[in-house]
Amino acid sequence: MNKINPLYVGIFLIVVFIVVSLSLKSSKEELQETKLLLQETRELAIEVSEYKKIYAKKSKKSLEKIVKLGILKSANLEIKKSKKSMSIFSKSMDKNALNYLMGKLLNSAYNIESLRVKKLSNEKVSLYVEIKW
Amino acid sequence: MKFKDDLRTIFLDEYSEVFSLEEKVNIVLSPSLYWIKKLDLPLKYLYEVKKLIPSLFEDILPEGNYSYTAYKSDDKYFIFAYEDKIILDLLHEKGISLSQVNNIHLAQSEFQNIDAALKINKTQSICIKDELLILVPCCWIKETRYIDFDNEKLSKHTIALAKFNHILDNKSLYTLGIIFSIMILLVSVEWFISSQKVKQIRQVKEELFSKYKLRPTVLQNKVLLKKYTKLHKRQIKIRQYLSSILAMRLKTGYSLTLISIKNKLLSINFNIKNQADKNTILKLLKSKEIQFKSSSKDNKLFVEIQL
Repeated sequence: MNKINPLYVGIFLIVVFIVVSLSLKSSKEELQETKLLLQETRELAIEVSEYKKIYAKKSKKSLEKIVKLGILKSANLEIKKSKKSMSIFSKSMDKNALNYLMGKLLNSAYNIESLRVKKLSNEKVSLYVEIKW
Repeated sequence: MKFKDDLRTIFLDEYSEVFSLEEKVNIVLSPSLYWIKKLDLPLKYLYEVKKLIPSLFEDILPEGNYSYTAYKSDDKYFIFAYEDKIILDLLHEKGISLSQVNNIHLAQSEFQNIDAALKINKTQSICIKDELLILVPCCWIKETRYIDFDNEKLSKHTIALAKFNHILDNKSLYTLGIIFSIMILLVSVEWFISSQKVKQIRQVKEELFSKYKLRPTVLQNKVLLKKYTKLHKRQIKIRQYLSSILAMRLKTGYSLTLISIKNKLLSINFNIKNQADKNTILKLLKSKEIQFKSSSKDNKLFVEIQL
């Protein structure tokens, strides 16, 4: 039986050690990157989720309830709905109704896409507002 | 001295000539370069004998770093001890580099069947005594012929020289080998653990996607976040500006006539009586730290704020 040269065994062990060490280094770098990516994804997920909650479609239902309230009846609101938006018109509404509706719109997380409030007289205004989802 | 495989065979001892070689050679070591014992042991396998060789030579060998070998012949074991460094040095001294050496044989295995003594140089001969090849002075034996490898076939018993045996003995080499192997094992285990952690983190990441009902890729979610951030900033600005403007205390005589939001522009129109009214309104807006553009025409002041 031929004797294996210890030098070859030594070189083999060194090569294996280098290969395994490089693999470990690469794996550790990957681990670090994956950890950072996880942290980034977690923050991203929380932020997106929070925004989704704020501007969720559930606000659509609450707005539909608001425009049907008695205080806004005098304003004769016209409602135009689409899948992604709701437009509210009033040719003439008094300041109390305006204050109430604007208070509701501005104090809640409605996505106001466009707005037009025009003074008609000291007591009356015309209104157009478009809310998007 | 040509051999069957066309390689030259050289008998190596301290009296050998200095060679100038350009080809590979086989080497046969003189009995002066190794220690030998013939044993009749109740062991079946050669590897069992090889384990015992160092202890079998323990009492007779001078101090040194020895390598050992053995072979079996007719139910008897021939065991050998040799110093790699001495042989390497002698090869070097005789002009033979290790790269030129094909195989190294022991004279015992190559000449165990000779029936008469052979001269190996002017003063020494080899002969068989009690199955062992020994060196004897020429004058002891009459009618001897010179050693000749022509038409001879070398045995399969060869030895491998350990180049670093004199620096590190086998025990140290094994220790180093074991240490290296343990290090490789430890690094491999750490590598495995690290890879498993990467897998686990990826799993957690996937769970995050389903828990928060995210879009399939990080990029898509980044785009979504950007869209929401932009939307949110715009809504915050709308509320801040409207709050500031509606909180302004306007004097009698000038009034707010229009508030309009379209695209990225917030427009506000005021009715004013004179330049002083305009200045007052603009001053109020500036005091709220609002960036705006303004223009006026026919007692009307137009203010535009970029959202």
